[in-house]
Amino acid sequence: MTLRSRIIFALLALVATTNGWAQADSQTPTENEALKLAALEALIAAPPERALPLATKVLAGKHSDEVKARALFVLSQIDDPAAQQQLLAVAEQNGGRLRAEAIRMVGIGGNPEALARLGDLYRSGDRTTKSAVLEAYVIADNTRGIYDIAATATDESEFENAVEMLAALGARDELRMLRDKAGLSRSLIYAYGISGDVESLRELAMDSSNPEQQAQAVEALGITGKNNIGATLAEIYQGTQSQLVRDAALQGLIIAGDDEVVLQLYRQSQDVSEKRQLMQVLAATGSDLMLEVIDDALADDQ
Amino acid sequence: MNDETLILYYLDDGLSEAERRKIAAALGSDPALASQYAALCRDLDLLNAVDDAEVPAHVVQRMHDSIDRVARPVLVDTTPQSRTFNPLSFIWGAAVTAALAIGIGIGVYFSGETMPAQQDRGAPFVRGMQVYLQDARDDITTMSTTGTDERARLVMHLVEQNRLFERAARQNDSADLARVLRAFEPILLKLASEDVTPVEAEALRAQLAFELNVMLTKLSRASSNETQTT
Repeated sequence: MTLRSRIIFALLALVATTNGWAQADSQTPTENEALKLAALEALIAAPPERALPLATKVLAGKHSDEVKARALFVLSQIDDPAAQQQLLAVAEQNGGRLRAEAIRMVGIGGNPEALARLGDLYRSGDRTTKSAVLEAYVIADNTRGIYDIAATATDESEFENAVEMLAALGARDELRMLRDKAGLSRSLIYAYGISGDVESLRELAMDSSNPEQQAQAVEALGITGKNNIGATLAEIYQGTQSQLVRDAALQGLIIAGDDEVVLQLYRQSQDVSEKRQLMQVLAATGSDLMLEVIDDALADDQ
Repeated sequence: MNDETLILYYLDDGLSEAERRKIAAALGSDPALASQYAALCRDLDLLNAVDDAEVPAHVVQRMHDSIDRVARPVLVDTTPQSRTFNPLSFIWGAAVTAALAIGIGIGVYFSGETMPAQQDRGAPFVRGMQVYLQDARDDITTMSTTGTDERARLVMHLVEQNRLFERAARQNDSADLARVLRAFEPILLKLASEDVTPVEAEALRAQLAFELNVMLTKLSRASSNETQTT
């Protein structure tokens, strides 16, 4: 049998479930399923105007969620606005795994209008749906959509989830806008760190009006991992009177892995308890510079 | 008369001349059969488009294998073969992929200044992406779903490569591809998780293999169309 015939048979098996001429019962479900999946895989080779009705037919037919999920992926790769509409319709009309997959595919499709409609699904959806929408926005790099979710979040965990996604995408502008909209919070400060927003964090780290927030900002500076951040943290460490902020600066140095600066602070310090603390920091980071500190300490004894 | 015979009749394939004459006679004398055949023809006409598309060689081979597998369930030895991951092949695969990614990066860097305008700037990128997707597909399909540590190690390597190529896709203005690669990552991370059961791992692996195959076919088709039009 030629390849053409083989493919035709495979595709027919796929779309035949609702047709009278189907031979579905002649095979075990697993084999039948494998054939359908092979057919769907081949469908992407067909022109969009031909592939679209077939994929749509699969979604309307009596197939397993797995087969339908694969059809959704094929739809996401069809360059036709009708395919995006179809994905959205599945997301809106179904529940469970199929809805989550359809939402993921809308993200892959990247159509702005379809992505905007996901916002409605998020607001009315359960936890799985909300998580799927956020994931779709990350896939589509749709920082504005995630910002809207964070700005209208009704509870702390929703806000934190959205903020984490913005941080991972490096969406500094949106995160700064959230400060004006929702006020400062621990999650937002750490998001500044992950997104590498040194400017915002430096401003917060110098503001001593709220020591707790200041300490969080100082620690988050270490998260940015930017060059020379160790020098900034050392400056804050030496300039503050707040033990909370000093501890945060040390924590920031540990996170940044800047053992050279810790060694410098050790050598500059005249306070034995402070030296001990700095030694512990070097030991905690497993730094090779620990040997130099030991040398110094032993030299002091002589 | 069953549908398979009618399909072969429609396709003019796999039937002897005597069988064809017999079917033609039956269609002429049996209105119900003629109606069944007419309905079948409408669907087959719709599917005919598949023949117009140039199917890449690897897809052809896979299609043959898949369809043969389901067509010959009794004859094929169904004893499950143990899937083993060959670290050496992975290391070579990873090295080649990394070299390609670096090559793509260099291509991107220099493309604006040294490449002649008429040269196809996207070709190295597409070829590199195809190799990456093939390697990832091969790693995914041969990976063990039972050994958690080994699986996690391999998948985390794939995540790193995936990020590399996602960046390359963005730099090459291939937002579509970048989105698909970003969509792979949550699945890969789930696959690397210790909490995932072998059954769930198998499902995730199947999903990834399918999506990688679809992307490979799409890329092959796009590049062959481009070649034909230039």
